[in-house]
Amino acid sequence: MHWIALQALPDAVVAGDAPDSAPEPFGSAAPAPADATAALGWWALQFTPRVAQVGPAVLLEVSASERLYGGREHMLACVMAPERPVAHVQHAQAATSLVALALLQTGMPPGVVEPDRLPLATLAQAKAHLPTLERIGCRVWGDLRALPRGGVARRFGAPLLDALDQAYGLKPEVYPWLLLPEVFDMPLELSAQVEAAPALLFAARRLLGQLQAWLRARRQGILALELGWQMDARRNTASHGQLLLRTAEPTLDMQHLQRLLGEHLGRITLPAPVLTLRMRSIETAPLPSASTSLLPDELHAGDSLHQLLERLAARLGPEQVLRALPRADHRPEHMQTWRAASAVRAPGNATAGGNTRRPRGTAAGTTPAWAEFYPTWLLATPLRLAVRQDRPLYQGPLTLLVGPQRLEAGWWGKGGPDGHADVALRDYFLARSEQAGLLWIYRERLLASQAADAQQVVGHWYLHGLYG
Amino acid sequence: MASLPLVLASDANAAVWRADELAHAPAAVLATGHAALDAQLPGGGWPIGALVEILQAHSGQNEWRLLLPALARARAGPVLLVGPPHMPFVPGLAAQGLACERLLWITAATPASRMWASEQALRCADVAAVLAWLPQARADQLRRLQMAASEHAKLLFVMRPAAAQAESSPAVLRVLVAIQAGSDALRLELLKRRGPPCTQALLMPARMGRLSALLARNQGRAGYAPRPLGNLSDSAAPVEATHHALDSLAGAA
Repeated sequence: MHWIALQALPDAVVAGDAPDSAPEPFGSAAPAPADATAALGWWALQFTPRVAQVGPAVLLEVSASERLYGGREHMLACVMAPERPVAHVQHAQAATSLVALALLQTGMPPGVVEPDRLPLATLAQAKAHLPTLERIGCRVWGDLRALPRGGVARRFGAPLLDALDQAYGLKPEVYPWLLLPEVFDMPLELSAQVEAAPALLFAARRLLGQLQAWLRARRQGILALELGWQMDARRNTASHGQLLLRTAEPTLDMQHLQRLLGEHLGRITLPAPVLTLRMRSIETAPLPSASTSLLPDELHAGDSLHQLLERLAARLGPEQVLRALPRADHRPEHMQTWRAASAVRAPGNATAGGNTRRPRGTAAGTTPAWAEFYPTWLLATPLRLAVRQDRPLYQGPLTLLVGPQRLEAGWWGKGGPDGHADVALRDYFLARSEQAGLLWIYRERLLASQAADAQQVVGHWYLHGLYG
Repeated sequence: MASLPLVLASDANAAVWRADELAHAPAAVLATGHAALDAQLPGGGWPIGALVEILQAHSGQNEWRLLLPALARARAGPVLLVGPPHMPFVPGLAAQGLACERLLWITAATPASRMWASEQALRCADVAAVLAWLPQARADQLRRLQMAASEHAKLLFVMRPAAAQAESSPAVLRVLVAIQAGSDALRLELLKRRGPPCTQALLMPARMGRLSALLARNQGRAGYAPRPLGNLSDSAAPVEATHHALDSLAGAA
């Protein structure tokens, strides 16, 4: 049996003691987890399944996995390597857990101190009897052990004797081993009431740090999480609030989540001060393990596209970040629909998923020949042009170059209330304007029912596209 | 030892840029697709990782025909359009090589949000190019974009009104685009480049590919007035009307 005891040090203590020797965990700006001991325990589960949380310390029983890590020293080096959720950790190791804990509390280097000479204050079960033990001259473990067992059991109770036996390895040590929760759900009581939603981000960062430790231990990425908060009930307003955050791909990148949270929190106004926060994982997925490249060229710095789109959508609103969907239709205004990029699947996935909405003409690589005559800009609503002497005007008279190209489509649609809204009866022309360059205009042809009299069948001129 | 100064001298020669020649391209460039323009640009193409400013009187008028050949050839990846003046027409763009999947349209309205979105896009690893319409950008804001573009080696084109040519700009390349009077040809003036000032304007063919062929074929008919079409109220009208149109086309040719 070999035990390693770990204890997270508060940042304030470390900052005062040794400002230089601060290893950076998980990159520079990783937030500290909300519950450092639990995060440390979850992280320690990668070394051994026998991890226990005892008070503020975490115990690891590593005898079974020492060999995997190449020996005791090497294992300890792995445990103390800087990639852990808590920046500053104190450690001790011994053959039994109680000795390891005692060494952790005294802060003495292991091996120097024999168990007999450890102060009794470091034994949890002896704490209640410390004054009495002090008065009978027992200061170290060896003093207590020298006393007759029967008397000790009668005077101080059996648990103290049991603890002493366990500390010396005479009795087995059993702990409730730490289990990784299936769902991340962690409350955080705020140290002060928070009035403004953006200020919640500071506390939420600590929950994100905890979430990261949990995700790493489960080897998962987060897809959806919920940040809830409880507000002061004395105000006669809603007492709860929550925010649902989704990402397109499972992620471990807390920086990205933090920026998304910041954008969303920036738009929330709190009706009452917030007292507690709670973060819950809604959906996780296994992380795709990216194969790393040996070639430096392939490593390009920056965010991935889905991160960019999510960030843009979070600040500008999803309706402002658009991706086009091609459609099979002859009416130009129906050839494409612009949808929120979050609602349209990424093109890489779309082909894999067998997207059947792709019209025949626009399949990859084959564009119809006549598409080269299309303009590059389309007006969302065609602009009606004035006419002078039978010539349409747009920033001056237009010269018709090519046409007409007749379009008769949309008669199959239901249309609007008048029954003709979707019907397109048009003659398209390419026209040139001295000022505006090449234009795509059409002249409407009216249905018989629309024409005011039988002679008037030619409708107005409209500007529909620009050759930019 | 005697050869050492010579070697040094030739190295130094290579490193010295003379003000009367075009700068050597330190970074990558992307051929513009217009040979006449390539010859006038340092390195022979649009600089990658630098701000290129395109100035024109009316936004939306000329940028696609100037940029599409290069964008079609750029590395695969999304092209972000930040605040374009009109709705991009996907079939028209796809026909000229810019696939539908690559287009992303950011309809941010305010200048600040356009600036922010452009800068964020430049920081994304997957994005191939950013086209931003920034009529009201200040020089310090453009400088930020230029820094971001050079840091992440992205193609960045900023479209600005022609009136902005009097303002100072951190752009590496400034191109004033206009339509040549009397024709549809493009007239480019390189207001700023890394090299000697370009004194004469470049004239570029109006249109590319089949569209130019179509226009050339119809050259002689320029200015014809559309004939008023006949009565279409009866059922045979569409066919008849088509005949009318063809007749007029044949007559003019």
